Amino acid sequence: MRTSRALAALVSAAFIFAACATAASPTPEPTVAPTAPPTVAPTAAPTASPVDWQACMVSDTGGIDDHAFNENAWKGLQDAQAKLGIEIKFLESRDESDFEKNINQFLSEGCEMIVTVGFLLGDATKVGAEANPDVRFAIVDFAYDPAIPNVEGLVYATNEAAMLAGYASAAWSKTHVLGTFGGINIGGPVTDFMDGLVAGAHYYDKTTGSKTTVLGWDPVTKTGSFTGDFASIDNGKTLSLGFLDENADVILGVGGQIGQGAFAAIEERGVTGVGLGVDVDWYVSVPQYKSLILTSILKKIDISVTAAVEHAFKGEPALPVYVSTLANGGVDLGPFHDYDSQISAETKAALEDLKAKIISGEVKVSDYFAAP
Amino acid sequence: MTAAVAAPGAIVDRGAVRRQRIIGIFYLLLAAIAAFVLTSGIAPEATSTFALKPAGSKTGLDIPNLVVPSVVTLYAVAALCGFLGAIQLVRGFGTRWAVVLGIAVAVFVFGFLTWAAVGKSMSLIGILQLTVVKALPITFGALSGLLCERAGVVNIAIEGMLLTGAFTGAVVGSATGNNIVGLVAAGFVGAALGTLLAVLAIRYRMDQIIAGTVINIFAAGITGFVSTRVLQLHRELNEPQRFPQIPIPVLSEIPIIGPMFFSGNIFLYALFVLIGLIHYGLFYTRWGLRVRAVGEHPRAADTVGINVLGTRYRNVILGGIVAGVGGAYFTLGSTGSFVQDMTAGRGFIGLAAMIFGAWTPVGAFLASLVFGFADAVQARLSILNIALPSEFLLMVPYLVTIVVVAGLVGRVRAPAADGRPYEKE
Repeated sequence: MRTSRALAALVSAAFIFAACATAASPTPEPTVAPTAPPTVAPTAAPTASPVDWQACMVSDTGGIDDHAFNENAWKGLQDAQAKLGIEIKFLESRDESDFEKNINQFLSEGCEMIVTVGFLLGDATKVGAEANPDVRFAIVDFAYDPAIPNVEGLVYATNEAAMLAGYASAAWSKTHVLGTFGGINIGGPVTDFMDGLVAGAHYYDKTTGSKTTVLGWDPVTKTGSFTGDFASIDNGKTLSLGFLDENADVILGVGGQIGQGAFAAIEERGVTGVGLGVDVDWYVSVPQYKSLILTSILKKIDISVTAAVEHAFKGEPALPVYVSTLANGGVDLGPFHDYDSQISAETKAALEDLKAKIISGEVKVSDYFAAP
Repeated sequence: MTAAVAAPGAIVDRGAVRRQRIIGIFYLLLAAIAAFVLTSGIAPEATSTFALKPAGSKTGLDIPNLVVPSVVTLYAVAALCGFLGAIQLVRGFGTRWAVVLGIAVAVFVFGFLTWAAVGKSMSLIGILQLTVVKALPITFGALSGLLCERAGVVNIAIEGMLLTGAFTGAVVGSATGNNIVGLVAAGFVGAALGTLLAVLAIRYRMDQIIAGTVINIFAAGITGFVSTRVLQLHRELNEPQRFPQIPIPVLSEIPIIGPMFFSGNIFLYALFVLIGLIHYGLFYTRWGLRVRAVGEHPRAADTVGINVLGTRYRNVILGGIVAGVGGAYFTLGSTGSFVQDMTAGRGFIGLAAMIFGAWTPVGAFLASLVFGFADAVQARLSILNIALPSEFLLMVPYLVTIVVVAGLVGRVRAPAADGRPYEKE
């Protein structure tokens, strides 16, 4: 047992030396996305002098240029590099069997920190972290209970940002009916958005005295509309058609691309309506539907990743859970883009006010689950 | 089954009597549910509103909403179901039992919707529109199946053909920037899979179920593989334009029928044409007579000089084209991008619709509407926040498929030579 482990260490060390000798660039060539090389070199050079400390990222499936999760997390590493002068690199996971393989490769390459992107990597990260207590890990969208001492779980209080979106949606809606659906009713990562939307609409009703109906989710009973998976745009479209038929004109679909079903539904019925983006600014990432996107609920993964890398780099102990909030800028409401002119200055001021109140703790999202 | 061999007459009679009794009790059960379960907790003055005018409709046509008193409606439903159940138990409906069963179920479903919409408004027209939308790919699948089976070849591969059609439509449509090209390409790929099935089933006399299953697995594998390896990285290959909705002037303004059948896109109208063509072709032309002869009694057809194998080849390839084009609906007609396994068993439901529709095009369409309705209702119930878990509701369309196929299928007859390879002597 002991000899085999020693042998493994020796072999992996040999590989590392071999890699150092042959590889000119610190990033493995074949997996580098087209955008990566130019940004790596120039940002590293002018700021801090290179430090022999590597932060390595294992992506979720979907590619490093997915305009979402992975790309955003990679930006977080790039920012950390610019700030701290560390070395960064990534490996793309093509499917779920790559998770453990990629983590092991980085372990053998001697990464000081490994960032895994997405809750699907939860099991693989746990295995890697428990076997290598000296290596620091951070995982996006996941936290362990009980916590693993060398893992920082990055989670997002998306309900706060979604509450702002709910307020804006209720203000924009002509029919005073909103609709929301999720992928699978698995709690937090999905339903926080839906909770927030409902709470925002209720807050709008309370402060303006109007009456807004939110279809598809009841934050009190935790029941609502779900597509049953995170892929079926068709099911998302089906539910969206239902919302439109029941007079909704703002639709929030939470769970990967299923939310895009709303746009297909709006086009098919030929009615006036908009959808809300989730995680990233869909105006940028789903440009074919940009004329139908009111705003997006942003999860700023880059900010939390940079923070986690900084914690690790400075030798601070890993926080069991690092929560991104409106207060620390880790979640936010996106820009209105084409709809900016349709949101009144009054509404914008109210949004700023609500944001400040959520940050100060004066307004709690869960206080607005029930209709006023 | 084995007992029937021993004393066919007596057993069948007793079986029929028992079936009649079960159906009668079923009606009474529906009546009891409507009267006691659904009415509980509803205020006597509560009403259920069914909207018949499409939301956001820009047409001048205005139909008032259908408002019914909830409790009274539910008692009426219960009374009707109970009445039917009593007659069923006392003297039965003879050969019309299936029609009566359909009526009873329809009445009960109306009662159920009334319960779901108590104190609320439910867009009935939206459900009906969605029914047609959901029935569309199922009907394409059913038509593909019946083209093949009428000639005596079982096509289990419809699911795979739909999936490949969806994939090809999206990729070719995006790459060329032209939907029509995507649609044609989907038809070609469907034809290719049809040819593969035909060669395996006719030339090599392979078990047709296994040949079809192999094609399904192949289709799911190849489209899934290319979708994760290529489409995720090159999204521009998966962003086709959707075919626009083309409301037909005048016809689309007819209340209820207009929004359902005359406000669709090119796929809906193509489907109507296809149903008409296949119906006419199968039952009123020499081609159809020959196809049916090959499917019923290939040896007899052969002796009068019909090219049995040629007819089968032609029909299976035609079936492949229909399924390929129908599959393109998922991407070019509905959502606008391909997702792994997006057909979600619609090809198999199509097979069920073909059987339920007794291997006729019009029957298959009506059967597809039943399945589409189940799909549409489940989606609507979750929106109205009914006290049923969403996981259960998602199951409903498949549940309906099982019940229908298991319950009614014994009454319809497949082409006699269905699934049997033909060998010249």
